Amino acid sequence: MKVLHRAFWVAVAAAAAICLGGIAIYRGEHINSIWLVLAAACSYATGYRFYAKFIAARVMALNDKRATPAERLRNGHDFEPTNKWILFGHHFAAIAGPGPLVGPVLAAQFGYLPGTLWIIIGAVLGGAVQDFVILFASMRRDGKSLGQMAREEIGKTGGLIALVTVLLIMIILLAVVALVVVNALRGSPWGTFTIAATMPIALFMGLYLRYLRPGKVLECSAMGFLLVMGAIFAGRSVAASPAMAPLFTLGAMTLAIAIIVYGFLASALPVWLLLAPRDYLSTFVKLGVILMLGVGILFVRPELQLPALTRFTDGTGPIFAGKIFPFCFITIACGAISGFHALISSGTTPKMIAREWHAFPVGYGSMLLESFVAIMAMIAACVLQPGVYFAVNSPAGIVGASPAAAAATISSWGFPVTAPQMAALARDVGEQTLFNRTGGAPSLALGMAHIFARSGGGRAMVGFWYHFAIMFEALFILTIIDAGTRVGRFMLQDLLGHAAPALGRTSWMPGVIATSAAIVGAWGYFLVQGVRDPLGGINTLWPLFGISNQLLAAIALCVGTTVLLKMHGARYMGITCAPLAWLVVVTFAASWQKIFSPVPAIGFLAQADKLEAALRAHAAANPAATRILIFNARLDAAICGLLLLLVAAVLLDSLRVWIGILRGTREARAHESPFILSQLRVEEL
Amino acid sequence: MTRLRRWGGLLLALLRELADENAYRRHLESHGRVHSGGEWRRFSEERLRAKYARAKCC
Repeated sequence: MKVLHRAFWVAVAAAAAICLGGIAIYRGEHINSIWLVLAAACSYATGYRFYAKFIAARVMALNDKRATPAERLRNGHDFEPTNKWILFGHHFAAIAGPGPLVGPVLAAQFGYLPGTLWIIIGAVLGGAVQDFVILFASMRRDGKSLGQMAREEIGKTGGLIALVTVLLIMIILLAVVALVVVNALRGSPWGTFTIAATMPIALFMGLYLRYLRPGKVLECSAMGFLLVMGAIFAGRSVAASPAMAPLFTLGAMTLAIAIIVYGFLASALPVWLLLAPRDYLSTFVKLGVILMLGVGILFVRPELQLPALTRFTDGTGPIFAGKIFPFCFITIACGAISGFHALISSGTTPKMIAREWHAFPVGYGSMLLESFVAIMAMIAACVLQPGVYFAVNSPAGIVGASPAAAAATISSWGFPVTAPQMAALARDVGEQTLFNRTGGAPSLALGMAHIFARSGGGRAMVGFWYHFAIMFEALFILTIIDAGTRVGRFMLQDLLGHAAPALGRTSWMPGVIATSAAIVGAWGYFLVQGVRDPLGGINTLWPLFGISNQLLAAIALCVGTTVLLKMHGARYMGITCAPLAWLVVVTFAASWQKIFSPVPAIGFLAQADKLEAALRAHAAANPAATRILIFNARLDAAICGLLLLLVAAVLLDSLRVWIGILRGTREARAHESPFILSQLRVEEL
Repeated sequence: MTRLRRWGGLLLALLRELADENAYRRHLESHGRVHSGGEWRRFSEERLRAKYARAKCC
């Protein structure tokens, strides 16, 4: 039996090596997506069985006899021992956001190979390790947050910086995801109608749940889902109606303003009315669609149309500028490693773990599943014809505003596409045009529609599936926007409350309105900046988001390294130190290039200088707009620099602590809660 | 068949956990109360206040 068991794992590891080697070396006809699926699945299984289990058993010494905070502090609310598979689903639903869907789609401009390799290797050695270590550390510290642990294990500076970094990330995140929605809905009456319809549907759900059938969340969500499906079908008729279509055909700036107003109102409205019912609905839709996409890929097994590597590895890509190193890693972000996960792993989840060993599948396994979602997004993007992929994702400022000009530019890169071909595709999905739909969401929706239609419904259903995918993306992005604005407001109130106590009170309406307006104004500014950007906004905002997210991961890994160092000395610190060193190199290189690169498409300061030179030479078409663009470029450089300085401060603080511990001049005391024998019975799980 | 039923039960339990229905049941049990519209509203307000004070992941 033992021999069979060993043979099985040798076969899995060999399959992982063969599939990874296969996709890395093969250069010929198109490869089948099943290679990517197998490479990922076998690598995850090997990493989970050997590396993660080693960390769990030897490094963390997980012990099921030790009572977890869920048992010791059980209160029926936050602290509650929960079945490990239920908690796995709960944790995965909390960490799965738009990042792993959008990032890989954008990174596909380098071809499928670099992104796929980083998603797999980054998750196994970095992202899943970070989530697991932070979950473990928080579980051993009564469910403390990342900020609290940073304060206790490193010092006060770390805790404060973590708070400020999270606030900055939130602002950039909200702007960039709002821009993704704006670009997906711009000039799309079908999409705009469907998303607009989700507002009254959510309000109805809120009222239904509060007054008609209190507590029946599943029943109410099923009704909401049926109504949203009805809205997608109705959207086709709206788009075809000469009277209705113009009402829902909105420009980018109008949509941006609508989302800003929505964000402000939604964050100030009672949560039960709009936010909570839509959050329930979007969680179920999100999990259902991810499952559908997985089944669809296995059923259809589509061939990848994009090559392994494109010519844009040299840094001249139209979607975002910059070479594979460091920009592929920055762009993939959450699909491989996400700093935001550290907030979830030190939030609700550690308070619900019934037994210590449950942290192994929940912490490490959930991130592997998230990474697999990123692989599926990469496949969905790469099943598109390369010409179509670049036509959808390239901004007008680079390929040209007219269909003929854009098609000619993209074809000249060696990715043939024609204006009539794009017009036919747009007709199939019920859109007016698919050119210059930057942001990743439309091309992801096209790829998903392609896979779903081949699984069922055929070409006649492509339009429905495209808008179903857009609805799925926009639904949970809007939930992130209003929940994020609310959280940002709380954080700002928390910070300002020290100076003016009234502003810190969440029940004081003027304070609520002022801080909500400040947060909405901050992300709204960046959103408008993205809409105005002649290069489409994503080129600027997504790298900023990626850098800030990865810098937060660096802070989490500093905390993780400090914890491991205090437990075992230098023996196992490489587990978190290696991904930390890689992240520091990547994020610092990317930040440096984004600020100081002499190429205007990459460097913010070079971009500002170029625009200023045009202004001085009276060559700018619109001097007022150019002045705003110059200010924005300098502001982006300042934000990037500030993030760098904040994280450099945490790094230096951590280094000081680590050197002290290694030299023996500082006490290596971990702040773990004391061992208490677990009394939890099996039937309670 | 038993295994299928077990997985089905687990899936339903996950959906109930995500829908806060399990948390509501626990709330009723721990406080010795019975379900009513008012009780749900009390529970829901407290639950949602804590839930949306935390960042949603990207």
